[in-house]
Amino acid sequence: MHCVLAGRTLPFLFAAAALAGCGRGVEAGGEFRGEVLAEPIPRPDFILTDTSGEPFDFRAETDGHVTLLFFGYTHCPDVCPIHMGNIAAVLGDVGWRVRQEIKVVFVTTDPARDTPARIRSWLDRFDASFIGLRGSPAEVERIQRGMGLAPSVIQPLPEGGPADYLVGHAAQVVAFGADGPARVVYPFGTRQADWAHDLPRLVAVGP
Amino acid sequence: MQWWCSAQGVAWTWTWRPYVGVWALLLLMTVAYVRIARAAPPAERGPRSPRTWAFGAGAFCLWAALDWPLGALAAGYLASLHMVQFLLVGVIAPALLLLGLPVSAYLRLRTEPRMHAALRALTHPLIAFVLFNLVVAFTHWPAVVDGLMPSQLGSFAIDALWFAGGTVFWWPVVCPVPERPRFTYPLKIGYLILNTVASTAPFAYLTFSSLPVYATYELAPPIEGITKRADQQLAGILMKIGGGLILWTAITALFVRWYREDEARPARLREAG
Repeated sequence: MHCVLAGRTLPFLFAAAALAGCGRGVEAGGEFRGEVLAEPIPRPDFILTDTSGEPFDFRAETDGHVTLLFFGYTHCPDVCPIHMGNIAAVLGDVGWRVRQEIKVVFVTTDPARDTPARIRSWLDRFDASFIGLRGSPAEVERIQRGMGLAPSVIQPLPEGGPADYLVGHAAQVVAFGADGPARVVYPFGTRQADWAHDLPRLVAVGP
Repeated sequence: MQWWCSAQGVAWTWTWRPYVGVWALLLLMTVAYVRIARAAPPAERGPRSPRTWAFGAGAFCLWAALDWPLGALAAGYLASLHMVQFLLVGVIAPALLLLGLPVSAYLRLRTEPRMHAALRALTHPLIAFVLFNLVVAFTHWPAVVDGLMPSQLGSFAIDALWFAGGTVFWWPVVCPVPERPRFTYPLKIGYLILNTVASTAPFAYLTFSSLPVYATYELAPPIEGITKRADQQLAGILMKIGGGLILWTAITALFVRWYREDEARPARLREAG
């Protein structure tokens, strides 16, 4: 599957999205504006720790819900806050029925800096219902590889100290249907108009 | 190093960046102005002349709008600041720079028949009105903004169009030489009022759109404290309220001038008679 790493590639992605976008960040994929996958991604089975310190069984907790899964980090200067902000803005508009069918799960790719409290406070800036998860780098890498996503990579900043770095990570939001697998992903460049178009459709597909 | 601000897609930092194109432009403008002012009578030049101050204020507006930080933030981060930039480059600066030109500079244009004829045609109030509003509509069209803002040349083209459109728009109102004696104060005031109405369409489009219309700003690295939608709504409001304030200030100034000239006319007639 096509994976895009956010980080140093962002300026190029940004220009391409802006130039090609002209009102649309994503190529149309039939019913969906997201990228429809040739091979669906099975809903992964993993347990990580949520922001209240409790274990979170992804498959059990999100079963029967459209689930938007994203791997990112709270110090991310661009892709992560843009995705989270756009999803949150549209979820505020889709209506209660659609809204209650959708769960948004954020898994940190930077557990060294992303404490549970930091993840919670960062997600609350967008939507207090967003679920934040944390695990060891090895666990998170295993989950990403299992889904066919590129594992995250630490990118030190030339002029920074040991705690100043970027994390290159998969830039797409993976949308699992209520029936289990993910058939659509949303790369960087997905716009609010695309989410507003697709979220009700993702819910309408049903379990 | 960049020569002109454009949308880069990198996170905003308060680290100063030079934009050499902006400095070069302002330097050229200043040199040209000094040369033009040298040929003007003493009352129209020098540090005490209102024209010098008007030119200085216009040049300052251009610099503030195009250089770091406003230029960079407006090019690639905030639609609301992009609108502030438009008001400075396309509305305020052209008016001030035209006010700053000595009368002798306008008169000298008459010695160049071709340029004078072209300018006369271009600055006919009806044509100027249509041209300015076409420029405003074109340069705020999402496909144009998203297509041009990521490149320095594209961003420069938008700024140049704004400035050219603004110059054409203000010319019939500001030009001190009576090129069009029939374009009187009431008509000038009407021309400006009509333009406050014309800006309603882009204002409504930006303010009442339920989704962000510009990919450039929607997908830009976020700036703390403002959402993408609030930013766009603010841009629309700035266009309407900010633009309206500028135009109504000009309308008031025209009205005061008209009143003063009317008051002075009987005295002049008495002196002549």
